[in-house]
Order: sequence, then structure tokens, then C-alpha cells
Amino acid sequence: MRTNRTTYRFWNQQQKIAPYLFIAPFYILFVVFMGYPLVSSLVMSLYEMRGFQSRIFVGIGNFIDLFGDPIFWKSLRNTAYFAAGTLTLQLPIALLLAILLNSKFVRGKNVLRLAFFAPVLVAGVFVAIIFNLVYDQRAGLVNNELLIFGKEIGWLNEENYVMPAVILTGVWQWAGFNMIYFLAGLQGIRQELYEAASVDGANWWQTFLHITLPSLRPVIAFVFVVSMIGSLQLFDLPYILTNGGEPADAGSTIVMYLYKNGFQFMRLGYAATIGWVLFFIIAVISIVQLRLLGIFRDE
Amino acid sequence: MFRLPIDAEGFPLGKGPMVMLVLFVISTFFIFGRSEEEGESLEFWIFANTHYEEYQARVPIFEAQNPGVNVQLINFGNTMHDKLLAAMLSNFGAPDLVEVEITSIGRFLKGAIDEVGFVDLRPRLESEGWMEKLVLSRFTPWSYRGQIFGIPHDLHPVVLLYRDDLFKAAGVEMTEVETWDDFIVAGKKATRDLDGDGEIDQHAIVLDRRTESDYFSLLLQQGGGFFDEEGNVIIDSELAIKTLEFFTALFNEHKIATPVYGTWHGDPSNFAAMQDGKILSILSPDWYVGILKSQVPQMSGKWKAIPMPAWHPGGRRTTTRGGTMIGMTKQCTNPDRAWELLKFTYFDRAGLVNRYETTRIIPPLKSAWDAPIFKEPDTYLGGQPLGDLFIQLAPDMPPRYQNPYWSEGADLLNDAIFAAVTEKQTPREALTELAEKVRALMAKDLGRWGEL
Repeated sequence: MRTNRTTYRFWNQQQKIAPYLFIAPFYILFVVFMGYPLVSSLVMSLYEMRGFQSRIFVGIGNFIDLFGDPIFWKSLRNTAYFAAGTLTLQLPIALLLAILLNSKFVRGKNVLRLAFFAPVLVAGVFVAIIFNLVYDQRAGLVNNELLIFGKEIGWLNEENYVMPAVILTGVWQWAGFNMIYFLAGLQGIRQELYEAASVDGANWWQTFLHITLPSLRPVIAFVFVVSMIGSLQLFDLPYILTNGGEPADAGSTIVMYLYKNGFQFMRLGYAATIGWVLFFIIAVISIVQLRLLGIFRDE
Repeated sequence: MFRLPIDAEGFPLGKGPMVMLVLFVISTFFIFGRSEEEGESLEFWIFANTHYEEYQARVPIFEAQNPGVNVQLINFGNTMHDKLLAAMLSNFGAPDLVEVEITSIGRFLKGAIDEVGFVDLRPRLESEGWMEKLVLSRFTPWSYRGQIFGIPHDLHPVVLLYRDDLFKAAGVEMTEVETWDDFIVAGKKATRDLDGDGEIDQHAIVLDRRTESDYFSLLLQQGGGFFDEEGNVIIDSELAIKTLEFFTALFNEHKIATPVYGTWHGDPSNFAAMQDGKILSILSPDWYVGILKSQVPQMSGKWKAIPMPAWHPGGRRTTTRGGTMIGMTKQCTNPDRAWELLKFTYFDRAGLVNRYETTRIIPPLKSAWDAPIFKEPDTYLGGQPLGDLFIQLAPDMPPRYQNPYWSEGADLLNDAIFAAVTEKQTPREALTELAEKVRALMAKDLGRWGEL
């Protein structure tokens, strides 16, 4: 009897505790690796730090300094440029590819799908190294073999061309990845809608505008928000492609400037400030995007 | 019969989670329950593959000479400096010994001098008489406020590598070039539009206008720098401005220089341009010769070397570029044993000869310079004894004063050089603006901290 009672109590207890134990690893890891650093970096942004131990409380001094820092604004402009390029170039291309691959007239869809998706499997570092050769002024594929522009362009040596080079590389790497989201969205649209439109005499453009796009709205919202966040966090590609943002910070991005301040200049408080400003920028833009795309609206 | 209070079937969510839990417990046991290796252990962090390979081959000799000592060599590659910074910030996990690259050391010197994470090695160096055995000027990049935080791995003297065949084809004998004025005359003869399309195909020299590397080498050659010995900003000195004017003139006025192909001198595009005969000369430190040999072995026999042209007859014929130090961290638990390992890797003649064999790096230890290997003809340079040339130049290495603000300064200097070469600013404007920015940064810190 005693054994039975003990066993019952054990089971009773563990039934209450077990769920918490199962979710505990996530929360422990979250608190240790996310929660604590977040709070710590917020505190850090209010301090000027120097060396390995010294710190002085400066309140919002770092934020004031940051808003008067021309390299920060240049990095912000470059980042916004990349984000704009992503939204206006990469995502339409991804959507176009998805529509093509969803069409019944295209053959070898599986091969094409894999081919378009494959670049995302290549690590960013290698992409940067490969495109360093592709953009080479004299011997590079773009200037030399394709002769697209009819003249030698210093893609990585002239200020005006650095960000376009980064954007084009981003298109190559990520368009296929976003295409998969759009493709999944397209395949989820009910066929009857198209049949009904056809019966009503709608042409391709009208069908696209009034059926495809509205049906894809949740997918478009997701891809837009995720791409925007990824664009604002851009770091490795331009860092390697432009050898640290050169020339003249033409390839510098917000995260690159954060890295430089934190790890190269040992200005950890200032770097934390950049991190929090970036956080607010991402949060505001994401909320605005989601609102504009009607994600918060009740159907 | 004894029964466990749980069984697989009754376990919440079934067998899967139970298996995961068991694996978690077992792996935790293995991770935390491993026994420490017996004897003393020394950890040595490295960022350069070539250094790692060299030490990997030599550490077993040290371990055999020191029974019971176990040396852990860890090559973190390019991420090493960031890892070291994190270890020093958290005051946990730093190695006993570590190699640091010359452009990275400045950030480790930020803050009060007693906060620096490296041990001052001056007492050990002086008490054992090592200072005078090494090239004294090479301690400057690793010293700050009278303390020596690292021992130089190298000298990195610079020579002018040139294409003898192509200069000769242009009627130029490069061994007769002694000054930069001579070089400009020679360069104008050799810089050519080979196909008559109005564009120059063959430039006398390749220079990096994106970063400080070539310009700063030229400035150091004349005894200039970014900071002086006391830490004052001198990058807007007349010497620095004249040097940048000269540098920009090589591109824009004399038109004998081409910007580096790709993003730096070690870019594959740059090597391709060399092979195509588009580049006739390059300022080359000793380590760069090692890179050329490994990256473009097919150019063996095409290069020759002369000392760098001087700024005036009889002037200094070399400069220095790049560098590595070895330092002992304050987290080192056995400084005496670590010092022995440091001496074994940096002051052992046999090891330094081996280093030259594999990397072409000239050691700062003067007593190693008479080793026969340095006199041997170098097939890559058509039989010219390159080691001998470097060693002739080695005693004349200019100092390069270190400063905690170097990283910020160098970042802005890159922009200033690019602005001057692309004629967005005059060299005077670019350097004056740069110096003002760095001085303002330092003044602000001085105001906040009461010291720099």
C-alpha cells in the first residue's frame, strides 16, 4: 500500500512539474543568451566604456553623439539603399520566378527550382569571395566577359558602384530563396478562383491583380518583413566584398559600423547604442510594413 | 522485484523525450566529467595559418625538452582577435600566450595602462639581456607608455619587387634607381599603352589607394607616422602632407601608378594582372614574397628586387609593413613556463631559420642573420639572394609608434587617402580634416576620463 501511495504522489508531482521542465531549456537558454545580453546592452548604451574595466555613466550621451556622427548616417543610408534594392529588385524577381515556375508551360521545374534555390546554400563568405572576382574591374565576368555596360566599371573601387554591386549580389543569393515562399503561396491559391475569373472573361493581368496578389498577401507580408529585417542586419557580404566597407565607407552598413565600434575601436557603449537604435528602426519599419500590408486587420 | 518509479511507456510524451533526456544526462557527464590532463598545460592562440604550421612542427620538441608540459596550439584564424577581446573583457578564458597582429594591437591598449590585458615583458627582456639582441625599433609597435606588451615576431622590411624583363624591354635598368625621382623617370618610360587604344595597359607600379598600407609605408620610410612617441597626432605634419601629395601624383600627375586590382595586394585579380604584365613593380615586405610564391608560382624567375627608392640620395632604402607580436596575458597561470615557450618559439635560431624557409620572414633576432640560408640564391627571384638583401636593410627599420587610437585613425586615414587620390580633397585638406577628427576624439575622451 505504502509503495502505491508513494508512486501515486510521485506521478502526481511530476505531472505538475514535467511541463515546466520540458519548456525550461528554452527559457533558461533565452534568459542566459538573449534576456541577459539585451538588458546588459541597454545598460551598456548608457555608459561610455574604455579598456576592459572602466566605465562612466553618460545617460543619453551616446545617442546624442550617434545622431551627430556622419559615418553612422552614411552607414544608415547605405543600409537603406540595400533594403530599397532588396524590396524593389530582389522581391519582384523572386515573385516573377515563382510565377514562371508555377506556370504549366515551363518544363524542368524541379531542376530550375533547385538551380534558383542553390545560391542560398553557399555561405555568405564564399559568395563575397566569388563576387569579388566577378566584379573585378579588368578581368571580372561582369566587365570583361558579359560586356553589359560597355566600359570598365570599378564596382568595388568607385563609391557610387559599391552598393549596387552589393545589391546585385544579394539578388543572386536570396531571390531563389524568397521564390520558394512565393511558390508555396501560389500553390496554395484555390484553383476555382482562377476558373471563375476565366468564366467572367478576366485576362491574365486582371487575374494576377485581383486574385493572385490578394491571395498572396500574407506571404508577401511575411517575405517583405523578413527581407527588410535581413537587409537592415546586413554585414558579412559587404564586409568581405568591400574589405571592411572601403572605399570611403561606401560599403559600410549599420551592423558593420556597430562591429567596428565594438570590436575594432573598443567603444562598447557606443556599439550598444548603435544596436538599440537599429532595434528601434527594425521594430518601427516592421510594424509600419505589417500595418500597410493589412496584417493587423480583421478579415 | 525492484522497479524504477518511471517506465518508458508511462513517461510523459512517450519514449522519444525519455531517450533525449538520457542522452542529455550522458553527454553532460562526458562534457563536465572529463578528467584534466596530467602535468602543466599551456595554451597558445594563433591567427596565421603559416605560424600555426610552423609551431605545430616545433612544439613537440619543446614538450620533449620539458617533460610534463602540454602545449595546446589553437589556430582561430581571423576571428582570433575578437575572441581574445571577449576573453579579456570577461576576464576569463584567455590563453597563456597569444600572437596579435599589428593593426589590432591598438584596441587592446585602450583604457588605463594597468587595465591592459598583457603582461609587461620589459623586466624579463632587460634582466635576460634580450633587448639589445633584437632590432630595437621593432619593439615600438608593441610598446605603450614605457611598457612592452609583446615581442616582435618579425621585421617586415620592404623592398621594391620589379619585372626585370619588362623594365629592360622599356630600356630601364632598375638597379640604377636610387631615389623616388629616379623611379618616376624610369616609371614614365615603362608605363605604356600597348595596344594603342588610348588606355594604359602597363603601369610602372601598383599602389593601394583604398587603405593606408602603401601610403603609410612611404610615410614611415621617412620617419613619419600617425602618432609620435608621446602619442600626439602628427598625420597633418608637412612630411605627411608632402608624402600624400607625392602618392597622389604617382596616379594623377605622373600616371605611372595603377590602383590595386581587386580589394588589396593579395587579391587574385591583382595576381592575374601581374601575370598579364599589367603591373611592373610593387612595394613588397618579406611576407608578401611568401604569398607570391604560394599564389603565383608560375611567375618564378620573373621578379627581381632592389631596395626601396630613397627620398633623397643616401636616405633610408626600406620601410616596414605588417607585423605580429607574441604576448603573455595576465590570465596566464604559469608565467615562467610560458616565458620559456615564448623564448623557444621566438628566440631559437633553428626555429627562425625554419621560419624563413617556409615563410620568407626575416627574424628580429640579430644573431640569426648570419645563418647560411639567408645568403642562398632565391630561385623565385631568378637566383638573387633575397634574404641577404632583406638583412642588409633590416638594421635600418623605422619605428612605428603604437597608440590606442590607431584603429579609429587608420579607418579615417583610408578615407582620406581615397579622397585625395580621387581628387575629392587636396592631400592637405584630407589630412588636416583627419587629424582634427582624431584630435577631437582624443580631446573628448580626455575630458571624460581625465587621461588618455
